[in-house]
Amino acid sequence: MWKEKYKIGVELIDSQHKELFNRVYDFLSTMQSKGDWDEKLEKVKETMNFMQEYVVVHFNDEEAYQDEIGYPEREEHKKVHADFRSTINNYVEIFNKQGFSEELVQQFGAKLMTWLIMHVCKADKKIGEYAQSKGENN
Amino acid sequence: MKAEYVNPFYIAACDVFELMLSLHPKRSSLKAVEELINTKEASVVLGVTGDLKGIVIFSFPKEMALEMVKIMSGIEMEEIDGFVSSALGEIGNIISGNALTLLSKNNYKCDITPPQILVGKYKTFSAPNEKSLLLSLSTEIGEFDISMLLKEK
Repeated sequence: MWKEKYKIGVELIDSQHKELFNRVYDFLSTMQSKGDWDEKLEKVKETMNFMQEYVVVHFNDEEAYQDEIGYPEREEHKKVHADFRSTINNYVEIFNKQGFSEELVQQFGAKLMTWLIMHVCKADKKIGEYAQSKGENN
Repeated sequence: MKAEYVNPFYIAACDVFELMLSLHPKRSSLKAVEELINTKEASVVLGVTGDLKGIVIFSFPKEMALEMVKIMSGIEMEEIDGFVSSALGEIGNIISGNALTLLSKNNYKCDITPPQILVGKYKTFSAPNEKSLLLSLSTEIGEFDISMLLKEK
């Protein structure tokens, strides 16, 4: 799932993105694996929790990095992260209330995948460009 | 409907396909049609509200839809299931959102309604006395359509 073109040129963020994409990949491939949904549900939940925890860790570190280099659009970026955190939390709430149906988990997986790719390719790339313009490569 | 509404969707589609899929859509045809018909297996239908009102449909052939999701996820897809159709819905949503941002620069303020995904070939919408525009775009993995029926309020 990870592609070289997703690199933004900041080592810490790139390595975390790689890890995040790997965890999303594990989640998606468990979700899409053949077999009865109820039987694979435990593993789906496990990979989903694992991935969700890492999203939070990564967002926090990426925000700290933006503060550190004085990235001018950091507040806006924090808001985008906060919005996506609440999207995730809304899904968690729905899962807890309505159960982990295959349809809902697939919808969540699709949102997560497309959001992540778009966010890294557009918003995060700009952090990398700023860091490079300041000579802060790593 | 005016052809000037088409360009923002074309530009947004090219941008999103390049960023998310590393694909380079090229305009293969643009024609006025009597009815909004989706002749391809997977369609994303979005409503437009605000200064422009109407409907936008993205239609993908099955093989192309599966390949798009494979490019993003790195996982082989065999059928248009809930994951594939939700992912197509998100792509349609992102393209339309970006197109509306471009349209807002021409002073059209619009919103989109959440995408609906139709699987299978349907003859979905017809609007009497209204011509729709059908833009076909070819890519490295197949040809898809953006059909639009937009009117100023």
